[in-house]
Amino acid sequence: MNALEAKNTYFSQFSDWEKTALTKDPFWIRETREKALAYFQETGFPTSRDETWKYTNLDPLFQIPFALNGDRISKEAVLPELNSLGFETAKANVMVFVNGHFSKALSGVSEPSPKVKIRSLIESLSDGPLKKHFSHILPFENRPFVALNYAYFTDGLFLHVPAGERLEKPLHVVYVSTNSGQPTQSHVRNLLLMEEDARASVIEHYWGNNLKPYFTNTVTKVSLDKGAVLDHAKIQQESPLSFHIGTLAARQNEGSRLVSRVFSIGGALGRSEVETVLVERKAECVLDGLYLARGHQQLDHRTFIDHLSPSCVSEETYKGVADGESVGIFDGRILVRENAQKTDARQSNKNLELSNKARIYSKPQLQIYANDVKCTHGSATGQLDEEALFYLQSRGLGREEAKRTLVYAFAGEMVERVADGYLKAPLQTMVKKWMEEKMGGKP
Amino acid sequence: MLVIKGLKVRVEEKQILNGIDLTVGKGEVHAIMGPNGSGKSTLAHVLAGREGYEVTDGEVLFEGRDLLSLAPEERARAGVFLAFQYPVEIPGVNNTYFLKAALNALRKARGQEELDAMDFLELVKAKLQPLKMDESMLQRSVNEGFSGGEKKKNEVLQMAVLEPRLAILDETDSGLDIDALKVVADGVNALRDKDRSFLLVTHYQRLLDYIVPDKVHVLARGRIVKSGGKELAKELEKMGYGWTDGAGKKEVTAP
Repeated sequence: MNALEAKNTYFSQFSDWEKTALTKDPFWIRETREKALAYFQETGFPTSRDETWKYTNLDPLFQIPFALNGDRISKEAVLPELNSLGFETAKANVMVFVNGHFSKALSGVSEPSPKVKIRSLIESLSDGPLKKHFSHILPFENRPFVALNYAYFTDGLFLHVPAGERLEKPLHVVYVSTNSGQPTQSHVRNLLLMEEDARASVIEHYWGNNLKPYFTNTVTKVSLDKGAVLDHAKIQQESPLSFHIGTLAARQNEGSRLVSRVFSIGGALGRSEVETVLVERKAECVLDGLYLARGHQQLDHRTFIDHLSPSCVSEETYKGVADGESVGIFDGRILVRENAQKTDARQSNKNLELSNKARIYSKPQLQIYANDVKCTHGSATGQLDEEALFYLQSRGLGREEAKRTLVYAFAGEMVERVADGYLKAPLQTMVKKWMEEKMGGKP
Repeated sequence: MLVIKGLKVRVEEKQILNGIDLTVGKGEVHAIMGPNGSGKSTLAHVLAGREGYEVTDGEVLFEGRDLLSLAPEERARAGVFLAFQYPVEIPGVNNTYFLKAALNALRKARGQEELDAMDFLELVKAKLQPLKMDESMLQRSVNEGFSGGEKKKNEVLQMAVLEPRLAILDETDSGLDIDALKVVADGVNALRDKDRSFLLVTHYQRLLDYIVPDKVHVLARGRIVKSGGKELAKELEKMGYGWTDGAGKKEVTAP
């Protein structure tokens, strides 16, 4: 299929699907679905002519007909699998979605704080705060995948932390994709509402345990009220033949703080977008990212930080490693608007190419319209340092071990920055395992 | 221990070593002196296995093995150690981790059991003391932000931990003040042993006041033009390298 044929397929599947899947949808939800679908039909998929999709090849996505209505149950128990990955799930609230549907049986939520809501979004449509925020939808303009998500979402996380409350345990949300039959698509929509001075730590973990292709398309909306603090991590660990496209969009009020960490390791094609609007003064965001690409993987990252108000701080660090014939992409835009005086914005993107055929595209963009600001950005792409390799070898380390040591020194920094032990240890294992598989042998 | 025969080395299109013959016996300390560009550092690098050097003739035997056929890590495991003139900074690699990985790679090659973290720490702390090194250096990234003296001490620390059979010190005295030089020299002297050989590559005689060699060789234009006892270094200091330059020219023009 080409992009146009694919668009028509994604459009026309709606009428059959809605008859069975959408019988319980309230009217106002149905309305957004139809609006989103109409927009998608009008614009279709992005092409390489779109500036923000310039380096991403979507053709492989169009070749596979992905069916809606994937299995709602996973034959495997998820918690033991997570434990084997190094997560001490007893110390977290674990919520599991299978092919876009909440699985209560597989989840283990035991949050001590009674006022915090951790729910299935689709089961919470009558919730007041949810309804209020749901109507403030993200504009779909130039976001065809968001429109597609709005039309077809099946479920997702609804987190509501009321004013002054705190989520005591990290919330680990696992989105498992399984398929027993044909390739499937799932569209996940998450909503995280953090009221004044609320605090939470959330992990969005996309994970596939099968070797067939599937397509996951996600939208996470985050609202941070005054003084709220959200520590968010996204682990994109989809299985090797899968496609993952996901957007996190946040709005931050005065003095709020968002930490977003993206770890991209899985999928044939993975695209993660993070955007935040610093709506009120003294809001802060930290955007960290690490991508480890190999084989023919395309791991694509787009970020957008919108400095709308004065005295806000943004600190962005993305690092990438590309091996084989893989492609790593970083497209990071920071906009400092006229009113955003005393902005402190820092951006850094560093990449390591491990093979001659690997490609890195780095596109940092800083647009400043205020005059009293402190902004820095830097981008660098290089190979392993031969001097350092020789130094390590001359002390007895084998060449492969020397390489692994240097790659971990480079990539591991993004893991070492994670303060939360629940997340840190499994990430260390994940990165080390990647290096072992890629370069052979144990470090 | 080390036998170099007729070694000729080219870097890119330039001939740097023009036939080096040198034998270092077990437990001996040899100094290689020479002016800039004489090929001293090339010799050190070729022995350690650095890439970018083309050996066009000759051979190097280390304890009877063909050293030049070995990868750098295999040379290290066989007992060759090069103390770098410019130790490399490796951000993100912890010094302790690095030392332990290196020691265990060597121990494994020798058929010894690998050391665990506790045993290793005990061993390395004992080696730190004589070098007047602070324990905090172990927690820093390898050589990152180290002063010139700290870097050279770190090289000697690695040498003390790895206990090589042959240690090659490439201009270890360069950039050191007299106090640091004494500490480094003491560290090296403490490692002198009837079974361990040293090759000191240096521009200045100064180092040899503190590490007294058994033999001194003068390198000029890629050849050893003069060999002698430790007194040769003194002569050189008095007369300068110009004196050997003449000798070098004579040798080159001789058929």
